[in-house]
Parts: sequence; structure tokens; C-alpha cells
Amino acid sequence: MSSRRLGVYICYCGGNISDFVDCERVRAAVEGEEGVVIARTPMFACSDAAQQEMIDDIHQLGLDGMVVASCSPTLHQLTFRGVAERAGLNPYLYTQVNLREQCSWAHTDQPEAATRKAIQMVRAGIAKARWSEPLEKIRVQTVPGVLVVGAGIAGLRTAVALSDLGLAVTIVERSERAGGWVAGFGSMYPHDRSGAGLVAEALAEIGRRDNITLHTRAALVEKSGSVGDLVVVLDVAGERVSLNVGAIVVATGFDTYEPAEGEYGRGLAGVLTLPEYKGLLDGSEGPLVVDGHPVSSVAYIYCVGSRCESCEHGHTYCSRYCCAAAVHASLVTHERVPGVRQYHLYRDMRTYGKYESLYTRARQQGSVFLEFDPQEPPSVEAEGGTLRVTLRDLLTTGKELTFPADVVVLVTAMQPKRNEALNEVLKLPVGLDGFFKEVHPKLRPVETVIDGVFIAGAAQAPRSSAESVASALAAAAKSAALLKKGSVQLEPLVAVVDPAACTWCGLCAEVCPYGAIEKVLYDGKEVALVNEVICKGGGSCVPVCPYGAIQVRGSTDAQIRAMIEAMEIEHV
Amino acid sequence: MDYDVLVVGGGTAGMEAALSLGDMGYSVLLAEQQASIGGTMILLSKVFPTLDCASCIATPKMAAAFHHPQVTTWTSTEVDEIRRDPDGTFRASLTRKATCVDPAKCTGCQQCELACTVAIPDQFNFGLVGRRAAYIPFSQAVPKKAVIDRYGDSPCTFACPAGIKAHGYVSLVRSGLFDAAMELILEDVPIPGCLGRACYAPCEEVCSRRELEGEVPIRLLKRFVADRYYAAHPEPAYGAPEQRRDGRVAVVGSGPAGLAAAYDLARKGYSVTIFEAAEQAGGMLRYAIPSYRLPNEVVDRDIANVTALGVEIRTGHRVESIGTLESAGFDAVFLACGTSRDRALGIEGEDQEGVVSSLAFLNRVNRGEAPDLRGKRVVVVGGGNVAIDSARVARRLGAQSVTIQYRRTRDEMPAFAWEIEGAVEEGVSFEYLRAPVRFVGENGALTGVESIDMRLGEPDESGRRRPVPVPGSERISAADLVVTAVGLETVSDLWAGDPRVGGRGTIAVDPLTLQTTILHVFAGGDCATGPTSIVAALGQGRRAAYFIDCLLSGRPLDGDGYDHRLAPVSHEVVLGRQASYRTAPADGKRERPGEERQHDFTETELALDEQQARAAAGRCLDCGGCCECHQCLKACPAEAIDFSQRDRVEQVHIGSVVVSTGFHLFDALRKPQYGYGRYPNVITAMQMDRLLTPTRPYDTVLRPSDGRIPESIAYVLCTGSRDCGVGNDLCSRVCCMYSIKQAELIMGALPLADITIYFIDIRAFGKGFDEFYEQARSMGVYFVKGRVARIEEAEGDNLALVYEDIANGGKVARAEHDLVVLSVGLLPNQDALRLFSNGDLRADEHHYVLEIDEDQTPARTSIEGVYAAGSSAAVMDIPDTILHAASAAALAGAYVERLKA
Repeated sequence: MSSRRLGVYICYCGGNISDFVDCERVRAAVEGEEGVVIARTPMFACSDAAQQEMIDDIHQLGLDGMVVASCSPTLHQLTFRGVAERAGLNPYLYTQVNLREQCSWAHTDQPEAATRKAIQMVRAGIAKARWSEPLEKIRVQTVPGVLVVGAGIAGLRTAVALSDLGLAVTIVERSERAGGWVAGFGSMYPHDRSGAGLVAEALAEIGRRDNITLHTRAALVEKSGSVGDLVVVLDVAGERVSLNVGAIVVATGFDTYEPAEGEYGRGLAGVLTLPEYKGLLDGSEGPLVVDGHPVSSVAYIYCVGSRCESCEHGHTYCSRYCCAAAVHASLVTHERVPGVRQYHLYRDMRTYGKYESLYTRARQQGSVFLEFDPQEPPSVEAEGGTLRVTLRDLLTTGKELTFPADVVVLVTAMQPKRNEALNEVLKLPVGLDGFFKEVHPKLRPVETVIDGVFIAGAAQAPRSSAESVASALAAAAKSAALLKKGSVQLEPLVAVVDPAACTWCGLCAEVCPYGAIEKVLYDGKEVALVNEVICKGGGSCVPVCPYGAIQVRGSTDAQIRAMIEAMEIEHV
Repeated sequence: MDYDVLVVGGGTAGMEAALSLGDMGYSVLLAEQQASIGGTMILLSKVFPTLDCASCIATPKMAAAFHHPQVTTWTSTEVDEIRRDPDGTFRASLTRKATCVDPAKCTGCQQCELACTVAIPDQFNFGLVGRRAAYIPFSQAVPKKAVIDRYGDSPCTFACPAGIKAHGYVSLVRSGLFDAAMELILEDVPIPGCLGRACYAPCEEVCSRRELEGEVPIRLLKRFVADRYYAAHPEPAYGAPEQRRDGRVAVVGSGPAGLAAAYDLARKGYSVTIFEAAEQAGGMLRYAIPSYRLPNEVVDRDIANVTALGVEIRTGHRVESIGTLESAGFDAVFLACGTSRDRALGIEGEDQEGVVSSLAFLNRVNRGEAPDLRGKRVVVVGGGNVAIDSARVARRLGAQSVTIQYRRTRDEMPAFAWEIEGAVEEGVSFEYLRAPVRFVGENGALTGVESIDMRLGEPDESGRRRPVPVPGSERISAADLVVTAVGLETVSDLWAGDPRVGGRGTIAVDPLTLQTTILHVFAGGDCATGPTSIVAALGQGRRAAYFIDCLLSGRPLDGDGYDHRLAPVSHEVVLGRQASYRTAPADGKRERPGEERQHDFTETELALDEQQARAAAGRCLDCGGCCECHQCLKACPAEAIDFSQRDRVEQVHIGSVVVSTGFHLFDALRKPQYGYGRYPNVITAMQMDRLLTPTRPYDTVLRPSDGRIPESIAYVLCTGSRDCGVGNDLCSRVCCMYSIKQAELIMGALPLADITIYFIDIRAFGKGFDEFYEQARSMGVYFVKGRVARIEEAEGDNLALVYEDIANGGKVARAEHDLVVLSVGLLPNQDALRLFSNGDLRADEHHYVLEIDEDQTPARTSIEGVYAAGSSAAVMDIPDTILHAASAAALAGAYVERLKA
């Protein structure tokens, strides 16, 4: 029987829990439980002061286990394990109970029932903690190299930054040439730098560094191993190359939205997407000519492919870069075509931050800004060799206005890049918007739930070139943080086989989604062995074992049974 | 190098940069101005668009940074200067500000906060509520240690020559802690009763409140405290200290200087004996100051504060020579024998009957041997306070007429203005620019004064214009009594041959230590300085006691640590803290009517009652922040409070610098048409965010004017942003989103409230932002397109917004709300631009730190090795700040790699 001395901390979470769960009642209910030496109710268990109090308790009361009933373990499990560690306690003697997401937030309308449920949950947590065992982390030597997927501006800059931090980099680029969208651009906002020039500079910097390898017409086709020590297989121009890296940064960029035929006149001569128009601007000199006609008027229609739930594309998100990009294109046009008439048909002008200056300059240059209601979008029709744009302008007392335009530029959205093959290999989760999803936008913005795989640039969300580079450098910093220590510590909460009980029926190996179980010889018989580095502790092997020979550390049968029993205790 | 990287500023960007660098294995020094890291994020309620509680996001970062093995965090630290060395490393000079709390001992128990008597607007609650001068910044502060805000010495405390903590006892009176106030005064001087009546109060002359309706009556507060205490304690409540020290000290003279020295020395455990030539102790306090100003009982009770310590006062004992004291076994001597003699005029007839010196005159009266002056004509010669005292006493003794002759004009008169006024009110007449040349008598008895007109000539060495006689203007006026009061001098013949006598008859001393030419003999007070004031004499006595203690305990007499004052805080700084002040009507006269008082020796000045005292003390502006009332010292169970702490300058050598100095909030007062600061129900969004936090001030959302729950709340976007009129034409990026966030939170907190957001464009551009905006619309938040032109007050403290209603034809419209929230913008913090003394940290056109290559290496600045993280380079939301800060870390790490290569 366990004789653990436990500290139990039931967090108010500043009202997030205590507004719905009577934390004091929970404390009163559990403070007499066997093994509970002290039970407290901090306002914020995660605050430094509360952490210090826990450390003091561990020292002064001789605790050898602790339970914090607060929020989701994804948020603070590491925080409180750190507390245990600082107090000299094995971090796996700490148990977290998720009272916030699983109780108070879920039952905001039933405080009484929520309190009763909380008591059961905390009792279960105490039971689990009483049966917890000290565990040591699994240490894996890391490989000081990173694979960067995608050689757009984000991927290239990730590579340079990593190289400068002393890590070797391999870049794989699916297309023929490196540089992505930016390589095709001339002048870009906000500093009028040439996109092609930026890519050329990045490639030159890469050329000067002997620890960066760039493969074009290449793809990541297989990935195995564990964080810090991954084996990746690349398809480089049809040839399979195997490589050992410590981490992967995914910088696969975006696609641009292609309007449907007829959407704002798409298909008519002179109706271009913004990237097409930019290509025209950047790729020609002298007077601006479209389909042989000189351009003297341009209309920009914003939010094409963005911010529309009911549209076919279904993109509810704002594509962020387009307002400033379109305004910038109009500035280039003003300079190029003196006297040009330019109309901007927008919903909200989102030239955020310093980009406001671009908007101001465009107005000063004579650009006319018109606002439409998304319920009544503007229309574009062909009329006698030119285009006719009609809208109801909210800025002109809601009057309907019609004017001719030589070119209509559809300011199209960014959308997630399609890359089924890569998704198959990496299995990275995506958000509702279809872009790769980070663990947490503020806590871990470039990390994914797949350990050792980071995301950067517009693969994560619509972004400008400069913003993509910032996120690329952040991904470089975070992957370097992982690899520069030389080793990484993995969770010891993995499956373990009792070879005496195992008879190797192979059922566990069949159900393991990670292929972590192999057959080995033990004392002359065949048994299962778990590769601790590959095992995620998912536990699908446990129930299929006919002999109870396999357990997951940290969730042993004894612990689960004790938790269930604790929940059956009558309420106080 | 001491650290690989210095991170300047411990907000979101600074913490992220420090953590990223630390995780990569670089050593980091994180320097933060405030007492806690965490920046703005930790003060927010929740954060958009995920509605995570800000504490849940910020606290783990704060704790992780603070406890990171590679990160050293210095809070309350100012980075003063950074220089770049030729080898590409940097040297930084940092000031670790004194917090008056030893963080190693502080447990964060907040007892000091409960005991502190000074309230200061809480900057972490954006002025919605007050906090104490001793405080823990906020409940999730890291480190959770108390700090004490001391901006400097309060002018009153700084001005006191005796080192009395004037601000401290004023603050204690304000708090109703009258006994504690008395105890605080007694920490420094033994004679609060005398000072409360007869001090010239240099503290009041420098009181910042003078710049408004008039100074706090600090002296009268002292009298109130002393009188109240003495009424309850006829005798001191203490005896001689238990801890005795070797050493016997003789003090010659029992005036203020002698009493102060004896008091301080006796409290240290020395045996002290005071020798007093007069029959009773007190010196000038007893014999020179008339009892209508200072009653003898008060002097007696004050002196009891000294004798209770075991100090023996041998009255009627004239010390003939220092040798007698040496042979009596005293280890040190303090001469404080004052100026016991009037200076002679040196004119004919001065020796005859009917001509007396002021000291002799006042002395007789105070001894109860007052002459009957009924029907007599009295002339007083002189212009100092003693002259005025003599005249007012003569009036009380029934004199038919009292005339003061003074050889200069009223402007040059050394007497205090209120003394002169008091004399005038009591019927004393003044003859300015007139001086006696001869006292006329018959049969050895005075009959008149022959005097002459004077005119003012060139200034003399004192800076005053020298009076010059006007020949031929002599005339004789009848007089029965002349009192001469033209200055006092020390009786120095007693010491002839011993300590060398300096100029003008005073004893020469070392001005720092008050040591005479004899090692163990000190001299101070009027006998060393010439005639001054009670409080200056007390200061001299205290100074002598300090150095006598040094001498007797074998410490050097170099004066290190003697003056523990801080620089005084200026009136401009104090008054600049608030936009406006509510002033009380000026105090009326505090004296009994002149008609009544001129006939008796009862005190002329009226005392304050408790209510008046507390009200008067309540007008204190707390110039220095901490008032040194020492309540925290008594309350702290960990003995962590340390007022001897001083700012400490540290030099560090580092490889790279990350500047993460954040932003400033737009000051809504700069947009007067929105009425912030004028209408109570116009608040800023930061204040609203505080009202929505779990640790919020009122535990709900209330409107300030009447504490009512608001029903109709308006948000005015772009307050201070996109507005050339206030010099900021940029968009602040976060205001749309934080306003929407608050709207959603308010809908949860106050389900019945209507919320209207007045906007130009809704800039919901980041990941998940537009979806968040749509969610708010679907929840029922009203969005009105139109810029608000002005806000006017409407009925019931409500507010009328005048705006351009763009969606409805662009007409100017009015709408009424009961609470208005100004969504204030963010402005660059330009402090960072001044950090580098030998390199040019360039700014962009908007005064943010310039990113010289934002397209390829964001965060890189114009100085190689210096990187700008987060809003120091451009205002940004939290997710962008985190990415940007990690970029800065990647570049700083690479720079350090190059240095080490």
C-alpha cells in the first residue's frame, strides 16, 4: 500500500474555476483523505508565489507527491513538474487534475454538480498520485541538423539562421527552382525591396555557407525515429536519399485563391488576380498595357476569396497581406502611369500598423477608396472593349456608382498549400482555416503537436514576406533550442512489457500505430519489447494483451483502478 | 563576458527573447525597470482571439524566465548606458534601484503593504484604485517581493536641520496613528512640544502644497501630536536603555543643542551629564521665549523625555574649565552653552537704569519677576525675533506704548513676518530707518531716547543694504524703558585658553564633526554657529552626538553614512503627477484676537483639534512617495525592510543586446474632445481590461461616477491612432481586437448591457481574428462605422457621442451611452534610442527602433549586435511579438556564435 505524503492544490484560476466550483468545499472534502498532508486553494496555482509555497510545503512537510487541480495539462503540466523538480522531487510524482476545461468551464450552468464532480476528480487525482512512481526521462542524443521543407523566402531564411547558429541544414524544394512566390515579385511592400532580389541574396548567402544543402525537385517521402533523432527519406529528382536530422521545419508556403469563372467578372479580358497584375507590373517597363490596350484606369476589388462563410471557397479568414499589397501595387501604378485613375473597392481597409502610411500615400496620390457591403458585392461587366464596375458605395451616402475600368484587379486570398503527399508523411494537424496549426499561438507558436516538427511562414497563416521571415527565424530559434543542448529528454510515460508474463501473441504490435513494438528473445522465449524512443504512451496495446503483461507508465492498472475506486466514494 | 546577451525590458518580447536564448544555451541578463517582469500582458484580462486568460499565458513565461538556469533576472533595474567595444562586445552600465526591501528576506507576506500609510495611484491598475508606497506590484508578480517607492526625500523632511521625518509624522496623523507619530518624532528629537510651538518650520517653507492653496501646517501637527500624547502620558513611558555602553559624556548647556546631544547619546547607552549654569534647564527655550508662545510646562515635559533616559541635569552648575570635566572622568565633552549675552549697542547712556538687554528682560519675566510697566513708554531697539518678543511681552506687562526702532526697513527685518504681524495686531508701533544715538537720563534714570534717521546705502557683507545716518535728523523722544535687542553673543571668556575661539566670539569647530581643536571636545549650537534657531541647534546636537559616538566606539570620524538623506523631490515633479488638484480653502488665522491676547501670557496660537489635524495632514501630497513613517519596519516579520539601501550601479560585459522596451499607451488626456479626465464615465480600454481581470479592483464592471453597472457601453476606436491631430498617423494594430475581446467579455459579465463599437475600419487581420470579429457580431455587439468627433456630458453622468454615421447617409448623429471606453493606441517608447552612448541606434520616421533589413533579418538594428524585439520596433500583438522576439533571439545567438568563433 502506498504511503505517499501528498500536497493537494485546488486552483481558483482567478475565478475561471472558483466561479463555478466551490473550491473550498472541494478542499474540505479531500483534506482528510489518506495520504493528504496539506490541501490548499491558491488564487493562481501557476503564479510564482503559489509555486514557491508548494516548494516550501515539499521541504517543510516532507511531501513526496503532489496534486494540482487546475487547468489542462497541456497548459501547465510542465510548469508543475518543474516545481517538483526545483523542490528536489521526482517530477513524475506530480499529478494534474483538469478542473477547468473538464469541469468548471463545461458546467457553468450547474455549480452544485460541478462542485461534486470536482470532488470526484480530485479524489481520483489523489488516488493516482498515491500510486505514482518516480520515473526518469529517456535521454536521446540529438543530431545537430535540420531538414527544412520548402525553399520559399521562409525556408531559405530558416536555413541561413540555423546555419548561423551552428546547425547543418538540408532544404528540400518540390519545384524546379528555389524562391517560391517571392522570387517572382518585383517591388514589395513595405520597403520597396525586390522579391527576386531578396531571394537572390538569400541564395547567395546559402552558397557561402558550407553547412547548407539545397535540393530542388525534391520531397520528403518518409519520416521515422523520434524527436532529436529523426530518419527522413528524401526523393531528390527521383532518387531516394536517407538522412539523419534532429528536427524538421515545414515552410511550404501558400497558394493563391483562383476565383471561379464569372466571380467579379473573372474570365473577362482585363480581369486579373493581384498576383497576375503584379506579374504584369513587375515584368514590363514603360506604359502599362493589358491585352494590347493602354491602361488608364484600374479598379481593385478586395477580399476576393477571403472573409466569406457562405461563399463556395468557404474561407472565413482574412488573408492579412492583401490590403497592404494591393495598396502598394496601386502606388507602383501611380508612379508608372501618370494620371491613372485607380479605384479601391474594399470592405475594411486593413493596412495595419505602419502600413497605414501606404494607405495614406495612395490617397494622396489620387487613389479613390470606395466601401461596399459584402451583402451587395460590386459587379464587373464588359462593355465596349472596356470593363464597367458597379457598386453601392457606403462612403458616398450609399449611392450606386458605375465607372469604367481598363483593368479590374481581384485582390485574391492566400489559401493553404495543397500537398497531400507531405501531409501523408508528417500528419500535421491543420486549423479550421486549413493552415498548419501551432500548439498554441502565444505559448508555442512555431511548434506542432508532432515533437520535433516546426512550422514557419505562410504555411501557418497568411502573412507578408517580412512576417514570414520573422516566423522563420523564430522557428530557427526554437529548433536550435531543441538541438543545441546535444540531447533531448523524452517522456518516460511509455509502455513496458513484463517479459515473464508475455507469450508473444503479437496483438500489441498489431495495434501499435507507431510500430514501437518488436519481437525479441528473452530467456529463450519470444516476447514483446517496446522501443521507448518511438512509443508515445498511447496505450492501445494495453487492453489487447490477454495476459495483462503490458502497462503504460504513469497510467498503470493499479493507478486506474485506484482512481475508479476513489470516484465511487460517497460525497461529503 | 559576464553574459552572452543583455535583454533590456522584461515584457512579453523580453521574456520570450530571454527564454529562447536561454534554451539555446546562451547566458542572459534580463533587466526590467519595474518590480516585476511580465510587461503589459500580465495586466490584461484575457487575450484575443483565443480568449485564454492572460495570467495563464503570462505566468508560466514569467516563472520560466525567472527560474531559467541560463537567465539572470534583475527587476527594478534601469539600463543607463551601453557602449560597444571595438571587438564587437558591449559594456553596459545598469542601476539597480534601491527598493528598501531585501529580496532574499522578503517572503511576500504583504504585512508592509497593510502597514504602509502612503497611498499612491496604482499604475498596474491604471489609476483606477490606489496602492501603498510599500507594495507588491500585483498578485502574480515575479518575483513576488515587496518594494518601497521612494522617489527621493520629501522636501519637508529634507529641509529639517534636525532630521525629523516630517512627511512621516504628517502621514501618520493622516492615518490617525497619533501615538506612532509621536514615537516617530521621538526617534529624532526629544522636544516636540517646544518645536510644535516655537520652531520656525523650514519644512513648511518648502512644502509642495504651498504651490496650491498653502502649506500643510506641519508645525501645528507636531504640536497636536505632542499635546495629545502628553495629556495621556504626563511622564515618559520609557526608562534608561538596558544596553549600556562604556563612556561618560559631559554636556555643557541644557538648551536645544545640549538636550538633543544628550538624548541621542543616552539612547545609545552612554552615561550623560548635562551641566547648566541657570537654575532650571532649557536654556533659551525657558528663559528667552515668552510663555505666550511657549509655556514652561511644555518645556518641562519635553526635558523629561531626556531625563527619563537617565540623563542627569545639574542645574545651577557653572562649568569653569574643561579640565574640571576631564578630571571628573568624562570621556567626551560637548559644549552647547549657547549665546547667553546681548550684544551691547556701545552708545552713551546704555548703562543707566531703565536700559535693559532683551535677554535680561525676558529672563526676568519668565522667572516670574516681571516688572510692572503699566503707563510706561517702552522703546525696543532691534529687528530680530527677540526684539519682537520683548515688545510683545512689554505690551502684556501693561506698557502704555511700545515702539520698536529698527535701523533698516521692514523688508530687511530678520524677524519672521508673522511675528511682526502679531506685534502690530497687539498694538506695537514701529519706527523704521531709525536708530538710537544716545539714551538720555536724569539722575541716572532714563527719560528718553535720542535717535537719528537712517537711509539705506550700499549692501554690506550680509547682502543687506547698510544703514547710513542722516546728519541733522536727531531728535529725542520720551521713554521710561529701553530694551536693547541687537543680537546675541556667546560668553567665550569661560573657555579662554582652551578651544580656540573663532571669529565673532563663536567656538571654532570642524564643520562636519563639530570637533574642536581638542580631540574629545566638541562644540555645537549657537555657541559655535552664532544665534540660529531651535531646530538648527537640535541638528547640531545630533551631529555632535553622532561623532562623539564614533569617537567613543572607535569608528572613523569621516562622516560616511552620516547624511542619509536622498535628493529632495522637486515641486514640479510632484505637481506634475496629476492633471489637476482639488484645493481646500486656505486656513484662517490660528491665533486668538490681538485685542484679547495682548493682555495675558496665555498661548496666543490656537491648537488643532483631531478633525482639523487629520484634514490638514490629508492635504499632504506625499512628495517623496515613502514617508519614512517606519510602520513597515515594525510590521515586517522577516526584518526585510532596509532603508539604508541605495541605488547601486553595476557594469556588465556582454556579447549582444536585445532591446525589448515595449511601447507607451496613448495618453487620453491629449484628446480633450473625448472628455477623459473630465467626465468620470469616460475610461480607457486599459482601465476596462483591469475591470475585467480576475484580480480586478471592484470585482465587477462598474462605471466610476456612481458605481452603477453600466447598461450601454460605447467603444471609441482609434483614440490616438490614425490621427494626425495628435501626431500619430499610424494604426496601433491591437485596438480593434482588444475592444472586440472586451466586448465579448462584457457580454459574459453583464448580459444585459448593450455594447457599441464606433470604428473606421475593423482590422481583424491575424490568424483567427476575423472569425473572432464575426463571433462578436453574432453575439450582438453593435458595430457603427463612423469616427467620433466629440463626447459631451448628458443627463445623469451619461455621455453623448457625436459622430459621423456613415452607414446611414453620413449625417452627423448623436448617441447616448452610460459608459464610454476609449480604445487608446500605442506609441513608441523612445527610451531605447538613448541607450547607446557610442553608436547610433537609429529610429524610423515614426520613432520606433529602425529595423534596417526587415525583409531578411527582422529585428536587426543599425548597430551590429543589437536587436530590437517586439514593440520597440513596431507595435504588434502578442503572437507577432513572440515571433519577432524569437527572431531577435536567433540573430543575437548567431552574433554571439560569431564572437566566440
